[in-house]
Amino acid sequence: MRFLEQWITQIIDPYYLRIIILVGINIIMALGLNITTGVTGQLSMGHAGFMSLGAYTSAIVSLKMGAPFWMALLAGSTIAAVFGFIIGLPALRLEGDYLAIVTIGFAEIVRVFFLNFEPGGKAVGLSGIPQETSFTLVLLITLVVIFFTQRLLSSRLGKAMYAVRENEIAAEACGINTTHLKVLSFVLGAFLGGLGGALYAHYMYYISPQDFDFMRSIEILNMVVLGGLGSIPGSILGAAILTILPEMLRVVAEYRMLFYGALLVLLMIFRPNGLFGDMRVYDLIKTRRAKGEKPCQS
Amino acid sequence: MKKRNARNWAAMLCLAMLVALLPGCGKSQSPAPAADTTIKLGFLGAKTVNNANYGIPGEKGMKMAIEEINAKGGVLGKKLEGIYEDNKGDSREIANIATKYATVDKVSAMIGDPSTGLTKIAADIAQKNQIVIFSAGATGTGVVEIGDYVFRNTLLDKFAAPSVVDWMINTKGWKNIAIITSTNNGYSTALTPVFKTAIQAKGGNIVAEESINDKETDFTAQITKLKQAKPQVLVFTGYYTEAALLMLEAQKQGLDIIMVGGDGLYGEDLKKLGGKAVEEKVIFYAGFSADQPSPETDAFIKAYRAKYNEDPDMFSAQYYDAVMIIAKAMEAAKSSDPKVFKAELAKLKDYPGVSGKTTFLPDREPLKSPVFLLTVKGDKFPALLEKIPTSAPQQ
Amino acid sequence: MIWQQLLNGLTLGSTYALIALGYTMVYGIVQLINFAHGEIYMVGAFVGLFLVTVWDANLAVAMLGAMAVCMLLGVLVERIAYRPLRGKSSRLSPLISALGASIFLSTLMALIAGVNTRRYPAVQDVGSYALGPVQLSSMQVIILLVSAALMIGLQFLVAHTRIGKAMRACSQDLDASALMGINVNRVISYTFAIGSALAAAGGVMVGVYYNAVWPYMGTLAGLKAFAAAVLGGIGSIPGAMLGGLTLGILEIMGVAYISSSFKDAIAFGILIIVLIIRPQGILGEKINKKV
Repeated sequence: MRFLEQWITQIIDPYYLRIIILVGINIIMALGLNITTGVTGQLSMGHAGFMSLGAYTSAIVSLKMGAPFWMALLAGSTIAAVFGFIIGLPALRLEGDYLAIVTIGFAEIVRVFFLNFEPGGKAVGLSGIPQETSFTLVLLITLVVIFFTQRLLSSRLGKAMYAVRENEIAAEACGINTTHLKVLSFVLGAFLGGLGGALYAHYMYYISPQDFDFMRSIEILNMVVLGGLGSIPGSILGAAILTILPEMLRVVAEYRMLFYGALLVLLMIFRPNGLFGDMRVYDLIKTRRAKGEKPCQS
Repeated sequence: MKKRNARNWAAMLCLAMLVALLPGCGKSQSPAPAADTTIKLGFLGAKTVNNANYGIPGEKGMKMAIEEINAKGGVLGKKLEGIYEDNKGDSREIANIATKYATVDKVSAMIGDPSTGLTKIAADIAQKNQIVIFSAGATGTGVVEIGDYVFRNTLLDKFAAPSVVDWMINTKGWKNIAIITSTNNGYSTALTPVFKTAIQAKGGNIVAEESINDKETDFTAQITKLKQAKPQVLVFTGYYTEAALLMLEAQKQGLDIIMVGGDGLYGEDLKKLGGKAVEEKVIFYAGFSADQPSPETDAFIKAYRAKYNEDPDMFSAQYYDAVMIIAKAMEAAKSSDPKVFKAELAKLKDYPGVSGKTTFLPDREPLKSPVFLLTVKGDKFPALLEKIPTSAPQQ
Repeated sequence: MIWQQLLNGLTLGSTYALIALGYTMVYGIVQLINFAHGEIYMVGAFVGLFLVTVWDANLAVAMLGAMAVCMLLGVLVERIAYRPLRGKSSRLSPLISALGASIFLSTLMALIAGVNTRRYPAVQDVGSYALGPVQLSSMQVIILLVSAALMIGLQFLVAHTRIGKAMRACSQDLDASALMGINVNRVISYTFAIGSALAAAGGVMVGVYYNAVWPYMGTLAGLKAFAAAVLGGIGSIPGAMLGGLTLGILEIMGVAYISSSFKDAIAFGILIIVLIIRPQGILGEKINKKV
């Protein structure tokens, strides 16, 4: 383990290593959101809220209480999961865009809370968080998360989640407890969001509420949609592309965001269902998305 | 069978992506040997999105200093080379850029960022990579404490704000004070407590405390509330854009009030946006004024006007000084190695920079004197209102 | 003070409502959250600024010019970024191309106009009148009147014209409307054009009233307007108006009587509570799910 870390830091330039680590963290968060939005079809546009809860909780736990790193990670993801549960409850009554606005509102409330939160340094943010997140750790956690989501999605439970997305009423008629599954999907998504946030905080050394704004939520959602809803390789690729692309576009200097925006549009025009959207790893419901698939009818 | 295929295909593609990525990483190390012919300096600052109004003049000042030094033969017989990435005022961007400067470009020093929060991120990376970072604008606390490679040259809030509050209460007799903070602005939330402590220490009353957010435009509710509190003066700790918008709203609602703030209000947009509403009504402090220039400042202003056809501001002056001070330290240390010249840098005393006289205290904090109170007068920005002494540092 | 604050809230709310209308109209027909809508509002503000500063146009001309340019822009964005995806993708995919379009437009404007916040020159005198306890500025009167006029005009258009009828048909069922001989693509283009024109009018008025125009102004305004549209019941035109006004008043009252530093949290908190009680928004229709 230590040997791998040393070897990696020797052969890879720190700048590229940094980007690879950020890719790993984003993969973890994208896989989390993929469970909520991609698989179960509950549109969440506030993933940055979970990330920020995980980041702040873990940072405060390790800074103010001096707890070991694993405990900080666990605390961050657990708190995020608890809030995932709370946000999952309105999901029982709300659908589609109404749910989306509730999740946006939740992320905004979390952001405003941390802007006024004295122990979190308000807008100044928290700095001096020990830099515990290493390449090997991110690699290990990413692999574990990929393995578990893969197992989950190919299990009965995972297939039931896909069923909720495809047709809630039909799923319920088949005896699936949709209430239970929707909340569970939020809890799992939030847990991974919080885990990603905690890793992020312990990698960046510094966090502030502005790091977790609405655009960050949208960025994570983009990774999932770009990769293809409900697809694990899709989320991985989406996270990798959307993390690396802005760095590669650095060569075009001030036209960078112009290219980035145009590329997003082009990617969607040529792969309307996301990069892996047509290649479905699962095959639960046989109807192809021939025309305007609506995960949640509204 | 079909399902299986798709999965394999996907896995292959992912692997291919990762493999394609790795050789790219290895390659990047090769251009390093060529770097020895120049001394590289990395620019930290935003050229687009947030705080670009600080970064753009900063970049101009830095470019000018590098050109001047190179015209005179460079430093230690080598040319200086500036690298100018745009960090968009974003914390992830600056972390990536600082790492790139440190490891890919192998700079000797980074200059910037104008904001305290972002400087801290870059400072941590610089310290770990043993590269000097020289901020030309971070006024808040907790910057140089990060380590002995971290320097800054700007008028610190903890020295300036108490003297300004003293001037407000004892010279002007403004005792009833309202404070507005910008909640999502780190500079503002850090400056407000400095002002509040000073106001309480000098016997002022805080009659109202409100908050706004940067990038918002509707401040009607806050101004309506302020009108009820009847303060004599308004302390606003945020940036110039919101300052101008607040004053415009106050004018609209018929609230005639003076606004006092820190060097966050130092931006020409204050005048352009605020117009009549800010004229001689907004007062802010800074360590730089083009009005009563020293010979060095005068020469700088003339050269800057000739080159860019505009007046320099505090940030162009401070970035310019940063390059000059680093060059001086390198000459004195006879080395461009940060590990060596940082010791010379810390010894700086009474340096007659274009942004005022600077001394590094034993804790590497800069002491700049005097404090200039600036305002907008007619078409002139910034116009000097008064010069007040900097309150003595609490050693 | 309460009347003054109420007026502040109404003014802010009507600008939200104007942007929210565009969201809700587009949503009603193609179930798409048009994230580039905020940027169209921004472009509208800049076009108005350009007309006023370069051609010395008055407020009415600036507003009409901005509306015309943004109509074209809205249609163009739909043609390039949304139409190729329609019918081929999941409902969320256009979200990405919308975001791409929005990043593209705001960066383009930042490159053209610079990142600094700009103000409108004095096109309108800022005279204010005392109306009992309330200070009413002339620009507030203009915003309230113009918004009301535009909304009534829109309501008339949707209720009494041929194209309005087609829009209503499309919002009920896109496929069935196509079968009935409605040119669906044309109706969608019209919808984008009208929604964009309303946003442009909002952009110009906000620019004049708050004196601040900058390339990234669309994001925040778009988010707020989206919230307003959902609050009112997305897809419902009166809902968007009501949602906009409610959100504006909520925000201002939050600042006035609770706490200015928790402003957005208060507004969103109440919004969430309203939605939990009424999941389809204030005026939204409850649609029964079909298998």
